[in-house]
Amino acid sequence: MENNNEEKFCGNCDSHNCFDYPTKVFCSTRYWHHQNPIVDTLWHCESYNRVSQECYCVSEALKQKNSGKAAES
Amino acid sequence: MDRKDYLKEPVNHIKINGTLTVDQLMQQFKNSGSLGAGRLAAACDIYEKMLREKDCTIFLALSGAVVPAGMRTIVTDLIRKHLVDVIVSTGACMVHDAIEAVGGHHYKGGWAVNDAELYKYHLFRIYDIFVPEEDYIRLDFKFSEMYADIAKQRNGESLASDEFTHEIGKRLTDKNSILRAAYEENVPIFLPAVRDSEFGFIHWLHASQKDQKNVLLVDAFKDVPTVCGICARSPKNGMIVIGGGVPRNTIQSSALASKKGLDYAVVITLDRPETGGLSGSTLEETVSWGKMKGSADHVMVIGEALMVFPFLVASATERLGPDFKRNSFLQREKHAGKAN
Repeated sequence: MENNNEEKFCGNCDSHNCFDYPTKVFCSTRYWHHQNPIVDTLWHCESYNRVSQECYCVSEALKQKNSGKAAES
Repeated sequence: MDRKDYLKEPVNHIKINGTLTVDQLMQQFKNSGSLGAGRLAAACDIYEKMLREKDCTIFLALSGAVVPAGMRTIVTDLIRKHLVDVIVSTGACMVHDAIEAVGGHHYKGGWAVNDAELYKYHLFRIYDIFVPEEDYIRLDFKFSEMYADIAKQRNGESLASDEFTHEIGKRLTDKNSILRAAYEENVPIFLPAVRDSEFGFIHWLHASQKDQKNVLLVDAFKDVPTVCGICARSPKNGMIVIGGGVPRNTIQSSALASKKGLDYAVVITLDRPETGGLSGSTLEETVSWGKMKGSADHVMVIGEALMVFPFLVASATERLGPDFKRNSFLQREKHAGKAN
């Protein structure tokens, strides 16, 4: 399972940690700024900074999102 | 010694039947009196002595994977039954307890796994136990708020590590939690290396919040007079060590600083003495420092704590029986209102 997605997502930002794998992450930057730190893995903001060690958050969140769409259709 | 002094007691062979209780098996180990079984049986005798001794304060040192491996309830029960009086722990052991107290879990895993893949799944490995990162993060989030609450209450005044664990225990609701049980039973938990654990990183999260006015202050130096005072006031002191490291050193150094020296010592470890490090150092070595009396009942059980400690506790409590009630020196002191 590889995550080659070059898109910017919270799930490949270096401020992210797992909160509700794979769909929600905890953002330490937002926490430090007194903003709700629990955000969608597939969101991103202007503070985005690419993570140095990739994980499966984005690929698994995308898979879950796409399987949800498939189920709806 | 004369030659005959070396040949006093023959090894008796271990006899197993289908109805042995834990303590009956321990007695069989004692009959052998050899190798690991002999050491474990000696440890059990020493713990029983500590428990039956009217004025012995029992320190329990916790390090390593006590909670992840499944010994959390054993420790909690020892606290609730007053079969230990003071806990000195790594920060990590209490973090593991706190993780479960806020709904997280440790999972049976394996050691022959793809750790790079675990990393990508946000799963942490403690030998053959797995813990999901989100259980740590939920703890961080919740405890960061807890730190802010404690800091607000203290308003700039620092806490000793036992006050810190007391405040944490007060705010947990899980009855199976070591921290909660210690709070309810007024058993101090010292974390001399508190910042070397997730508690330290939670502090970073809490203290780094923008415009944070009230930062939690924990001062481990404040522990020193308290823990040394316990040793000094207690007529006798005994320790049971799971692992070693900072918790073992804290107890031994307190026994030294208070000029008491330990009266009883049981150490369960797989560490070796040849490194010169404390965790594997022999108990005989501690005598040279004055940390343990030369006359102390002591034994090092060379073994993995998850196999040794439950056996030790089960056997000792079986000997004491269900009606045994311990009214320790520290409890009596508290009731008399003399505690510092």
